[in-house]
Parts: sequence; C-alpha cells; structure tokens
Amino acid sequence: MAKRDTPLLDELEKGPWPSFVTDLKRQAEKKPECWDILGQLELSYHDRITHWKHGGIVGVFGYGGGIVGRYSDLPKEFPGVAHFHTIRVNQPSSKFYNTAKLRALCDLWEKHGSGMTNFHGSTGDLILLGTTTDHLEPLFYELTHELHQDLGGSGSNLRSPACCIGKARCEWSCFDTQAACHGLTMHYQDELHRPAFPYKFKFKFSGCPNDCVAALARSDFAVIGTWKDDIRIDQAAVQSYIKGEFPSNGGAHSGRDWGPFDIQKEVIGLCPTECMWMEGDELKIDTSECTRCMHCINVMPRALRPGVETGATVNVGAKAPILEGAQFATLTIPFIKVDPESEFEELIEQIEKIWDWWMEIGKNRERVGETIQRVGLPTFMKIMELEPIPQMVREPRSNPYIFWQEDEVPGGFERDVREFRKKHAQ
Amino acid sequence: MALSTEDLKLAIIEKATKSPKPQLYIKDFYKCDPDSKPRVIKNVANELVREGELMFWSSGSTTMYARPDRIKNEETREDAEEHKDD
Repeated sequence: MAKRDTPLLDELEKGPWPSFVTDLKRQAEKKPECWDILGQLELSYHDRITHWKHGGIVGVFGYGGGIVGRYSDLPKEFPGVAHFHTIRVNQPSSKFYNTAKLRALCDLWEKHGSGMTNFHGSTGDLILLGTTTDHLEPLFYELTHELHQDLGGSGSNLRSPACCIGKARCEWSCFDTQAACHGLTMHYQDELHRPAFPYKFKFKFSGCPNDCVAALARSDFAVIGTWKDDIRIDQAAVQSYIKGEFPSNGGAHSGRDWGPFDIQKEVIGLCPTECMWMEGDELKIDTSECTRCMHCINVMPRALRPGVETGATVNVGAKAPILEGAQFATLTIPFIKVDPESEFEELIEQIEKIWDWWMEIGKNRERVGETIQRVGLPTFMKIMELEPIPQMVREPRSNPYIFWQEDEVPGGFERDVREFRKKHAQ
Repeated sequence: MALSTEDLKLAIIEKATKSPKPQLYIKDFYKCDPDSKPRVIKNVANELVREGELMFWSSGSTTMYARPDRIKNEETREDAEEHKDD
C-alpha cells in the first residue's frame, strides 16, 4: 500500500493534544493497510460522507455476535481496507488487566489484524479494528484457548455487561459490582453470543448512586447500589470539616481558593430534599426524605458513609443512541438484594420477567424502554408484578401515568366515560 | 399444542425458504408456531444455525437469520449501509 497524502487530516496533528492521525501514521510503518485508512478518511473529509459500509454474515461458528463486518465502498481505491472487520472482546469486570495481558492482546491483534484498537467501546468491550474474514476463526481460537477471553456482544444479543470499579477500590460500593457483572455474564452466555431479542439489551452495574458507569443513562437494566438504613455519620469528622481540618470533596477542588468550608452553604443548603440540618454541633439527616443523591457523602467522605443495609435499585429502559431519542431509565424496583451467595437469583428473576415479556411484545429494533413507552408504564408494572409507589410519579397533576382501576380502590367508583367526554368536550 | 422440535425446525426452514424476504428477524419465526414460547423458537433457530440450515446476518446492531443459499456473500452486499451501526 502506497503512502497517502493527507493534507486535511494533517491539520489534526497540529494541536497540543494527542492525534489519532499520528498514531495511524506510526502504525502504517508496521501495517501498510493503515495508509488506506488514512486515505479513505481523507477522502471522507473531502466528500463529507463516510466510505465505510458495515454488516454481513461474518462471524465465528456458533456465535451470532462479537464481530461486525466492515467494508470500504471504494475497495479498488483502498484495497487495504476492502474488508476491515471489527472484533469486540468482552472486557474483564471493571476492566482490570495487567500489562502482560494487554501485550498479549496487542501481539494477537498484530498477528491477525491491523494492530489498531479502541479501548474501550461504549459497552466496555475491547475493540479490535480491522481484519479479514480468513483471520476470524484463527483469532477466535487463540483468543479463547490461549488468552482465555471471549467475544463480546453485538446485534440483537445481550451486550457485554459492564460495571464500575466496585468494592475493589471504592468504599461506597453497596454491592459487589464485579461479582454481579461476571456472574451474570457467565449465566447468560447463550443470550450474549446468540441473538435472542427484538434488539440489543444492556446490563450495567454501579455500586452506588454516583453511578460511575452511567447505568441510568445507558442500560436497559441498570442496577445501582443503594441502602435502606441511615447514612452513617461520624460527628467528630463533621466538626473537623467545619473547622477546615479536612479538605471537602477529598481535596478535589483544591486548585483554587474557595474560602473556608461552609457546611450550610455547601452541603445542607444543597440537599435536594432539604432533609439535613444542624442541631447544635450535631448534623442530623432524615433518612425517610433522603433520595440518595450522594452529594453530602461526596463532599464529606470522612464524615458520612452509606448505610449498612445495602442492595440496589433497578431502573429499566434507558438508551443512548448516537443520533436521537436518548432516554433515562425508569425506577422499577426501589430495593433488591444483590447476593452472590444466591447466584443473583433475585436479579435473574426480574431480568427474565422482562425478557419473556419483551421477546413477545417488543417490535423489531425496539429497545425495551421504547416498548414500555408504547404500552404504558402501568402495563409494565403489572408484568413485573410490582405495586406502584409515590416515588414513581414525578408530576401527578400534569402527567399521571399511574391510573387506578375501579377494583383497585376501596369502595370502587363508577364512571361513564362517554358522559365524561361529552361534558368535557372542547 | 406446541410443535415438536423437529416439526418446528421444518416450519422455520420452510418460512426462511419461502419468505419473500431472504433475511428474517427472530420474531418472524414466532408465526411458525404461535403455541411455542419465543425462547423455544430462538433456541431452535440457533440450533438450525449450528446445523448449517440457517445463517446469521448482522448489521452490528441487529441480527437476522437467512438460508445460506438465499443470502449474498457479505463481501458483495450493497445494502449494508441501510442499517445503523451499534
């Protein structure tokens, strides 16, 4: 492959930041097909349209996901990227690996592909960019038999589950996110590797409501750590914060002089439910009003900690598409135990209730959150065998999405809908 | 009453062979036997893939099934770009 002139891309090397163009040129010294990536991208910048096509029947035997066919629409001009498939490798939970593992992965990819990677994709997968069909089976064999790793999810499958760093490094984690992520990955191997659903389905696990893995915004089934009992308060440490002996936010904002710490202004006054106050020298919290926003704990981590009766909240139906239609997940199960001892049977029961319903009712290419929107939340609540709770109703007067049936209200009620509509017709 | 696994396999193969569309969603196979649960139909369709009777076609975001003799080699497909990525 000949070296390409790339005047437009060269502009991207001029800033103070690292440039993927520089990386690609360096890689092209070992893998000349990278010149064709640069050449095709230069043409795309000129034409203002992509020259990639994707999709096809590429894959490894028995797997319906993990490999995405990718092709140039100008194969004669750019033969080095005529076939340039993407491989998704399931990441270890919390993306823990040592440098030996990374070197082994890179060596494998230099042997079977372009050497270009994307660490990590939005589901957390290690993305290996660019190989040809004849390399897929040998690569898969070595990946699974020598590196003991597996492909991730793609297509209408369960996607690679992802989790935050959890109890490995974080004292706020209310459940073992890595155990849950790994446990459900192993439990649902069939769903991960073979298409089962109307569309993609994602699990994500965050250990606390800070939600470092952004489960609430990105996953169909978001498991977010929480606690039932009171926030644990060390009153002596609260006083130390007030006296300025401990930096607030763990010193995260210490690059500028914000003045002395003001607990009223920076913590109590910012509580979204106003459930905190001082009684003399003591900080008080009304747990029944706390929404677990984590602000006070984030600001005073040495004084405040989550409670000890821990579990998770399950939120269902988020999606974060590239173009349009992003939506957050909806609170579905306020508290659930996440227990490795029971092999996560409480979670599995809820997951399979959703799947059994969505596989039947969901339309092709419809995420579960869209199905819920289409049929309505009350129907979904019945499927999940859950009672509505007030926290699910955000604005009861303007958007009452919980409707009571006559037989659900003591004494019932009678209403003639036709008469009602006549009376209220505009 | 739900079809036996073997009868369900035959019904799915017939559907994939005679359907005007060469590529079918898993839901298209549900009609082969309304009495079978979606999970059963999914398992039978995947068994047919292992047996070589069906193939997966994936856009990256969506996966479909097809009879091997009804689907073009991906290297020559021209409509892949119709499907959104990821």
